Amino acid sequence: MKYITEEHLALIGAETELTEATHEVQSSETRRFYQAAMDPAPRYFDDKAGARFGGNVAPPVFPLYMFRRGHGTPDPLATIDQPDADGHTRAFRGLPEIKVDLPRLLNGGYEYEFFRYARLGERVFRKSRYRDIYEREGKSGTMVFVRFDDIYQTEDGTPLLNLTTTVILR
Amino acid sequence: MMNPVYFDDLKAGDALPSLRQGPISTAHIMRWSAASENWHRIHFDREYAVGHDKLPNVIINGSWKQNVLVQLLTDWAGDTGWLWKIGFQFRGMNLPGETLQVWGKILTLEDHGVYGVVNLEIGVLNDAENESTPGTATVVLPKRNGPAVPYPFDTSILKGKTANTKAVAT
Repeated sequence: MKYITEEHLALIGAETELTEATHEVQSSETRRFYQAAMDPAPRYFDDKAGARFGGNVAPPVFPLYMFRRGHGTPDPLATIDQPDADGHTRAFRGLPEIKVDLPRLLNGGYEYEFFRYARLGERVFRKSRYRDIYEREGKSGTMVFVRFDDIYQTEDGTPLLNLTTTVILR
Repeated sequence: MMNPVYFDDLKAGDALPSLRQGPISTAHIMRWSAASENWHRIHFDREYAVGHDKLPNVIINGSWKQNVLVQLLTDWAGDTGWLWKIGFQFRGMNLPGETLQVWGKILTLEDHGVYGVVNLEIGVLNDAENESTPGTATVVLPKRNGPAVPYPFDTSILKGKTANTKAVAT
């Protein structure tokens, strides 16, 4: 293997604590989100449409985007003028950093399992773990695949969704 | 929101009503990047996208494309069905100016008694009909004259049933 070492493989299975999202589900954020996603389903804003779900809800994938930069945390754009800075950490979900000498990052895909929408006003929690780290030869050279699992739940432990993300370093 | 779809009315090989979004401009990409607080330069810095990441232009976010795939299925399932699983890979790029056609086709149907499970193939085509985001999904639907799929969704409603699978005729 060109890039993956025993140290990388030892990270498989590493987990975060159960971590609370930066804010509760806020209507201003869900509005901006569904408008940018171009998915104006009435259950996001219409009381009648939200009734089946106990009130207005966020789009299905919204919980992923609730873990935003917190108050008093370093500015991710502070180093954006560096040659390889792309605005993304390699410490995915706050797990240990994946240090490989590959400067480019692509989103490889998602695998979701949905159970429930996050409702306006709810607090959301996430726990993550590295599922797999491996490399493959591609057209543009060696690529490192990092896969991690998240579970998202409400304050009382009600499951919202499970997700496996694949990120490609190349 | 479309009329409710019932499991009884479906057969393997059926195509879902497709969803068209676009043309997607750099402004759409900027709006999504801001709403999701994604600062990856390949979505707004053309010089970086071309020079550093060797891409032909800035590219439409994979995280935006996930929304149209989810929307295709949540619109189709309606509020009485449930999008249970969806997975897809970002295999190809989509560039500013493209109009995207999001499609789904039924692969198999599983009769679980009170409810039905529909397994689908999904994807995103551009104007040239190049596939960028192939994937699969599983939707749980009510039957005509039957109850809505319980919300929140609980996989136990499908356990203990003998699934009768009807595959696509080849």
